[in-house]
Amino acid sequence: MCISDFAKRCAASLAIGVVVSLAAGCVTVRPEQRAILADPVMQFQGDPREAAQRQHVLENREGSFGGSSVQGGGCGCN
Amino acid sequence: MRPSPDSRFAAGLRRSGSNLSASGRGFLWLVLVTAALLWPIAAAAQAAELDTRVTFFHEPAKGSTMTVYTPSTDLTVRPWDFLTVTGGWEADIVSGASERVKTGPLSRSGPDTITGASVKDFRNIGRGSVAVRHDVVELRAGGSVSVENDYKSNSFNGSARTDLFQHSTQLEIAYARNWDTVCDLAHTANTDATLRQPLDNSTGCFQPNSTTRSEAPIRTDAFQLTWSQAWTPVLTTQVVYTGQLQHGLLSDPYRAVSLSPGGQYAQEHHPENRARQAVALRGAYYIRPLKGAVRAGVRGYRDTWDIYSATFELEAEKYIFPWLRLRGTGRYYRQTEALFWSDDYTGGEPEHGPRGQYWSGDRELSPFSSYLVGLRAVGTWSAGERRIVGIFEGLQAGVGADMLFYSYSDFTLGGRPPEDTTAYIGSLSFTALF
Repeated sequence: MCISDFAKRCAASLAIGVVVSLAAGCVTVRPEQRAILADPVMQFQGDPREAAQRQHVLENREGSFGGSSVQGGGCGCN
Repeated sequence: MRPSPDSRFAAGLRRSGSNLSASGRGFLWLVLVTAALLWPIAAAAQAAELDTRVTFFHEPAKGSTMTVYTPSTDLTVRPWDFLTVTGGWEADIVSGASERVKTGPLSRSGPDTITGASVKDFRNIGRGSVAVRHDVVELRAGGSVSVENDYKSNSFNGSARTDLFQHSTQLEIAYARNWDTVCDLAHTANTDATLRQPLDNSTGCFQPNSTTRSEAPIRTDAFQLTWSQAWTPVLTTQVVYTGQLQHGLLSDPYRAVSLSPGGQYAQEHHPENRARQAVALRGAYYIRPLKGAVRAGVRGYRDTWDIYSATFELEAEKYIFPWLRLRGTGRYYRQTEALFWSDDYTGGEPEHGPRGQYWSGDRELSPFSSYLVGLRAVGTWSAGERRIVGIFEGLQAGVGADMLFYSYSDFTLGGRPPEDTTAYIGSLSFTALF
């Protein structure tokens, strides 16, 4: 039963992923339209090194992890 | 990435030695050799970037103030268009005080068992990476070595990224492996976990002939998939999945938990395995009239210790002048407790699931929420036909400040609410392009 539920959820997630990926293929932003997308204010992590140092501080105070970088290197757990 | 990192309690009694250890000397040589190798490449490179910065963390509290400086320097060179080489150094300089033994409100010994102790530590990290780009594909490999008094870490990471559909879609797969070693007290063989005492200080750690210290391995494998998508010229999104497996001594050897009303305490005891996963969804939208962008993100997390968490982030960044931009950040975080976590193991029925095989009083594993507010200003100057001061093709300087507020629903120190629930983060950065 559990395996069946898990398989259904996996299949549903896969189907959603495929549909969204296909939709992404239909949407292209031409190179001459990409000036704003390349602007620093449109970067998800802003300054990646600053974001990494802040993330290091936050993760040392929280029980969770992930969603940004997996470059490794420990511990500095203060 | 030691997973039980509350030094306010646990890293407590570390004291840095005045003599450089053998591993410290090896690390210093590694940094010097890397710098010597990178410098001639930088001199001949088409472009080189020198980034130096410092982050300041301060957590004031009566008896357990913690201050951490994190300076870093990275040199990135591009000898050819297809090749990028980066080498860098970072440190954590820690000073403050922390509590040692966690008690709860039921313990008769109460707060008296919480003893403050001075903390000093100095972690050095050397890191480097090589990235090769051809057409729409970029391959990157890197590694790091870090050394501190009671913890050593070696890591390798690799990633592959490709662009699709006229660069509108970007897919990246990344992997990282850590080989870490943590110092522990040399427990007598077969000592029951309830009788194990915490490590009191780092003296003797990683000394080959030490009879009072032992070494415990931690292995970490992390895997990440990232899909970034540009939908319109002003809208882009990103989905990130991260999985991580940890195995080894995942508790903090300095940390102890009171286990009986009489005050008997033992080194905290966590499961040796932990599987963690997170999914993050982000979006960025440019608002032309404001000459700025808003970014929003949400992250869900769960692990096999039964911790669930959610993170919400909102940022706005806009140009004040063509060379100056200002960013405001807001972040809210909330998590549940680990299955075996308790504020008090000394009596009564557990409020949150089974316990007994493992015990932990870590506030990081307790149920809590936090929010962060911050501001950051970044100035950027590009050279025109003539280089800035005859040397630089570009300069960038940044300054930022964040405030963090924690709200602990169950966690106490001997029944008293913790005082160190506010923290300040400051950052300064300077980047030069040659």
